[in-house]
Amino acid sequence: MTDADVTMDLHPMPAAGQARNWAFPSPERGGLPTGLPVLRCHRPGQQLVAVEICLDAPLDAEPDGLDGIATIMVRALSQGARQHSAEAFAAELERCGATLQASADFLGARVSLEVPASRLRRALGLLTEALAEPSFAPTEIERLVRNRLDAIPIELANPGQRAAIQLARELFPGSARMSRPRQGTAETVSRIDAAAVRAFYEAQLRPVTASAVVVGDLTGVDVDGVLAGTLGSWATAAGAPALVPPVTARDDGRIVIVDRPGAVQTQVLIGRLGPDRHDPIWPALVLGTYCLGGTLTSRLDRVLREEKGYTYGVRAATQVLHSPAPDSGIGAALLAIAGSVDTAATRPALDDLRTVLRTLAADGLTDAERDLAVQNLVLVAPLRYETSEPVADTLADQVQQHLPDDFQAQLYACLAETSTAEATAAVVTAFPEDRMVTILVGDAAQIKTPVEDLGIGPVSVVAA
Amino acid sequence: MGNPAINQTGTAGLTATEHRLDNGLRLVLSEDHLTPVAAVCLWYDVGSRHEIAGRTGLAHLFEHLMFQGSAQVKGNGHFELVQGAGGSLNGTTSFERTNYFETMPAHQLELALWLEADRMGTLLTALDDESLENQRDVVKNERRQRYDNVPYGTAFERLIALAYPDGHPYHHTPIGSMTDLDAATLADARAFFRANYAPNNAVLAIVGDIDPQQTLAWADKYFGSIPAHSGKMPLRNAELPDIIGTQLREIVREDVPARALTAAYRLPQDGTRECDAADLAVTVLGNGMSSRLYNRLVRHDRTAISADFGLMRLAGAPSLGWLDVKASGGTEVPEIESAIDEELDRFRADGPSPEELERAQAQLEREWLDQFSTVAGRADELCRYTVLFGDPQLAFTAVSRILDITAAEVTAVAAARLRPDNRAVLVYEPTSSAEPAAADQNGASQNGASQNGAGQ
Repeated sequence: MTDADVTMDLHPMPAAGQARNWAFPSPERGGLPTGLPVLRCHRPGQQLVAVEICLDAPLDAEPDGLDGIATIMVRALSQGARQHSAEAFAAELERCGATLQASADFLGARVSLEVPASRLRRALGLLTEALAEPSFAPTEIERLVRNRLDAIPIELANPGQRAAIQLARELFPGSARMSRPRQGTAETVSRIDAAAVRAFYEAQLRPVTASAVVVGDLTGVDVDGVLAGTLGSWATAAGAPALVPPVTARDDGRIVIVDRPGAVQTQVLIGRLGPDRHDPIWPALVLGTYCLGGTLTSRLDRVLREEKGYTYGVRAATQVLHSPAPDSGIGAALLAIAGSVDTAATRPALDDLRTVLRTLAADGLTDAERDLAVQNLVLVAPLRYETSEPVADTLADQVQQHLPDDFQAQLYACLAETSTAEATAAVVTAFPEDRMVTILVGDAAQIKTPVEDLGIGPVSVVAA
Repeated sequence: MGNPAINQTGTAGLTATEHRLDNGLRLVLSEDHLTPVAAVCLWYDVGSRHEIAGRTGLAHLFEHLMFQGSAQVKGNGHFELVQGAGGSLNGTTSFERTNYFETMPAHQLELALWLEADRMGTLLTALDDESLENQRDVVKNERRQRYDNVPYGTAFERLIALAYPDGHPYHHTPIGSMTDLDAATLADARAFFRANYAPNNAVLAIVGDIDPQQTLAWADKYFGSIPAHSGKMPLRNAELPDIIGTQLREIVREDVPARALTAAYRLPQDGTRECDAADLAVTVLGNGMSSRLYNRLVRHDRTAISADFGLMRLAGAPSLGWLDVKASGGTEVPEIESAIDEELDRFRADGPSPEELERAQAQLEREWLDQFSTVAGRADELCRYTVLFGDPQLAFTAVSRILDITAAEVTAVAAARLRPDNRAVLVYEPTSSAEPAAADQNGASQNGASQNGAGQ
């Protein structure tokens, strides 16, 4: 036998069967007497319940000079509360088989709980204690601060994270919180103490500006009773939502090399600022960005990975940073192309990447590309939202971005109606080759000269 | 028995049926009509343990080649067709197997079966030098991105090489070495396919919103005519004594941001009660925020930024208990090491408290619930238990086996195995002049390699 011989029966590619209807789950919106809005969503068969608490503690609300305090504060919530020491709290939570995570970002802070449905009441009781009566013991805050100071050099040593920090520094004015690392610098974090954490907590956290999202198989769970007996006891004085200032970005074309002598790859991060989800262009932008760099058969990887082998993968993506209510300001999202290429391929990879953008601007997307993208983005939804956690996460994103509860459901309808021309216009406007900042984390001695004559703009080098 | 979160301990009444085609392909079907999705998961019984000296990384490189087209699928058609149908897909390679999976909207199940059958039967008609050269470069960049260009990136590879002796089939990791990746030829790839990619060396699990009769008919239609064949090399002997017998040690001086201590303990093979007991032991010691080592090193002593202890289950060789600690500030490694040994001494003597055992069981149960919450996760487990243990039904009882373990069994396995003379230790000492600080990342997750790690 030769390898060209086919020794099996070949059949034509099968056609699709009859699709079953599926819609993005529609949450039931209610609220507790304390003013806490609650979204709940019953997902049959999902024994793990996901709870998201959205807190109005955006990074822009951090006091001057205390960058990182929002992160320390939300992490400290679970480090001891009235009835439990930090250690006892963690033990109780793990006895429920639960996980609890906390983070803070420009859109606000989040506490995320996952727990088997049968232990929802117990875990929500602990979560309520954390929200309503955190201890903020000085010794625990000191530990979190020190832990954070230890983590900063690790992040700076990671090429992807180092690139993101540099891009923010380049894009935004130094006065903007957005120009500085989300979790603060060694200088700002070392100033954080228990008194400051408590003050920030008292200024920002209240049920009336928060939201709770509960998703999972709620069969046999007295959700109202559970909520009333747990989160219902978190009460504070009223207060106004945090104000977030508008942001501008400087996106004139330039290259900044973060020097890592001897690096075997160059981390590439190319970015600028674009619109948020309130903008009517959003569905077209989602579609166009997918066609540019959503998967390994998108335009970037088709060349950079599957033709040239320069990379394990390059992606184009959007990340919403500001999303105020539609009538109160201008939202913003980071538009970025990211990936890593081997050091020797840095110059040709950037060259090819720019050719991809130029070709896209000149010739546009094809109808076939657009159709493939719509099919993937829309039809993949039942799969993407199979479990509780992604549903809760999307609902919480909508809350934090001041979007209607049916935003995701409507987005699928809009994607299906977006034309090739609209998707092309959106992605070409979003990624203009001469108005993006290029960060390269790599070996300057090897890559600086080659990238200087690309015509991208001035090239500067900063220390890692 | 522990304190289960739900009746039937996570399986919620799920069942699976087993079938075998005439060519030896084993099928496992499991119905679940809650969501209109169906998972196809295909395990080939070949992994990096089957590779020979000088050709490490071949199983994983080959996995990439499986996405480069076959008789009726051109170029990247496999990716385009699945994603265009609203599915997600990938392949991964580990020590013991290579898996391929497509999770589809239920009405596109037949397409996934057609695609998998086409490449199982006809890959060699499309495999050429161009795709080999391209994917060789992609995999080398995968290696750089995930291991060589990140701090501590090669810790797993180094520790494995210490813990499994030279010449042992598990001595090297799936990603392989740059030299061997460079050396792989088209002839190697063809021979690898002929030896391992046969219906009688694979298990196909299909889980979700399926009609079992129709699914069986499709499986037979598309896979049934692929001839069985056997050119598989016998596995090299992977037996090792229960105990390493001495403490192995390597010090790495590198430009890393913090001192780190990682250690590998030789633990019982998967499929035994002792392995489940070992899972509970390392969970009590180092999984989560209330574990003994976290409480000791991170909360009390404040000598570490993180302390994680996990189990890598292996069916064909001793499993590996992976301990990973990143030092805080200027803490020296010996201080951390003596604290760890104190904790292990105490645990070997006294075992877990009832509360600790309950917590560990609840955590492992949640991890299983999480894995079982998707059709793809279930399909993968059904393949795992079929390929490695010959019985898919074992997937449904995995949680109850863990809940059935007693404190005495946990203590016994700890006493026998969690000893200084049964570990390989890797210490990182930073070379840069900067004051060392510490990490919160856990290298333990880097135990495999995949096709499209950049994700969707």
